[in-house]
This record gives sequence, C-alpha cells and structure tokens, in this order.
Amino acid sequence: MALSQARNPAIRRYFKRFVPITVAYLASIGLATWIIPDDAPANAVTIGLAILPGLAVLGWIWAMGRLLVELDDEYLRMLEVRKMLVATGITLALTSVWGILELYSPEVPRLPVFFVFPLWCIGLALGQLFNRFTIGDGGTCA
Amino acid sequence: MKNRLRVLRAEREWSQQDLAERLGVSRQSVNAIETGRYDPSLPLAFRIAEVFGLPIEAIFQRDSEA
Repeated sequence: MALSQARNPAIRRYFKRFVPITVAYLASIGLATWIIPDDAPANAVTIGLAILPGLAVLGWIWAMGRLLVELDDEYLRMLEVRKMLVATGITLALTSVWGILELYSPEVPRLPVFFVFPLWCIGLALGQLFNRFTIGDGGTCA
Repeated sequence: MKNRLRVLRAEREWSQQDLAERLGVSRQSVNAIETGRYDPSLPLAFRIAEVFGLPIEAIFQRDSEA
C-alpha cells in the first residue's frame, strides 16, 4: 500500500477493524472445527458455533462497506469500487458456470457455498492487479 | 480531458504533495489527474480551480480544444 494511502484516516480505520475481525474469524473457525464432529447433527450448539465465523464474514463486509462510505478521496474510492466490481464479476461468472455444470453433470464435484466469499476476496486481489495494469494504481490491500 | 495542473503547480513551486494537502486528497489523486489517468468530479474540479484562483476552463480543456 502506498504511503499516501496509509495516511488516509478511512483506510487506517479500515485496517483497525479488519485485524480484530480476522482474528475473530480464525478463532471461531478453529473453535468450530475443533468442537463440531464431521457427522454432527444440526442442533442449536452446532448451528451456534457454525454461525460465529459467519458473523465475522458479515464484519468484513461491513468494514468494506464503511471504507467506501468513509473514503473522502474520490480517486481512491474509485479504485476500491473497481476492485469490488472485478471481484463480483469473477465470482458471479465462476459460480454461475460451475453451478450449471453441477446441474447437468453429476460427476462434477460440488462447490461448497462456503467458498463464495474467499473466491470474492481472490477477485479483489485480481481487481487490484487490474487497476495496476489499467490505471497504474492498485488501491488498498482491502 | 487535458489539464494544466503540472504547469500551474510548477509555477507556484508546489510539489504534488503540497497540492494534495491543499485539496484534501491523496498525492496519488493529484498524480492521476495530472497524468490524465483520472478526470476529477465537478466538485473536485471546482476545488482545484479555487486553489489556483482560476476558472475551471483555464485549467481543464477537452481533448478537441487542446
């Protein structure tokens, strides 16, 4: 991330939110994996534990939304929006095509919905590369 | 769209960072506008005009006018 971006208060606030949410996500994923057995019934404990990492994902989405709202530098905001559009396009394209393959070919392995958000995050990184190659600036590491 | 930002900045001996601070934007924004990689919004164009004390059309020109 460029130094001038790091000085932006909205980006600093984003990273202050991102780090604890990431710690909460990793801790809750670890806890759920440790406690819930593979063949666990869908009872209140299982669902409650499994929802915790989901809440952290909601936290990430909230933090990214706040970044867009709070970024008062229109150029930096445009870079972020472009990254998110690229990520959304890639995610929709891959999951839609894979979904149709799953529909018509039972031999195609099922893609767990869990992977949609990580896929979108990979799309953000590709969006950053897209920005870098088309405009010359990547944007934040959000 | 073309602009005279680099010339106007040089006349005042301002760095990109100086101008960025006067405008309340990042240095990258100034660089992107100067190099024609980003066209500013109308409110930002007005701020730029205000900082230089010039009308917008003295700073920004359409490609066909340049």
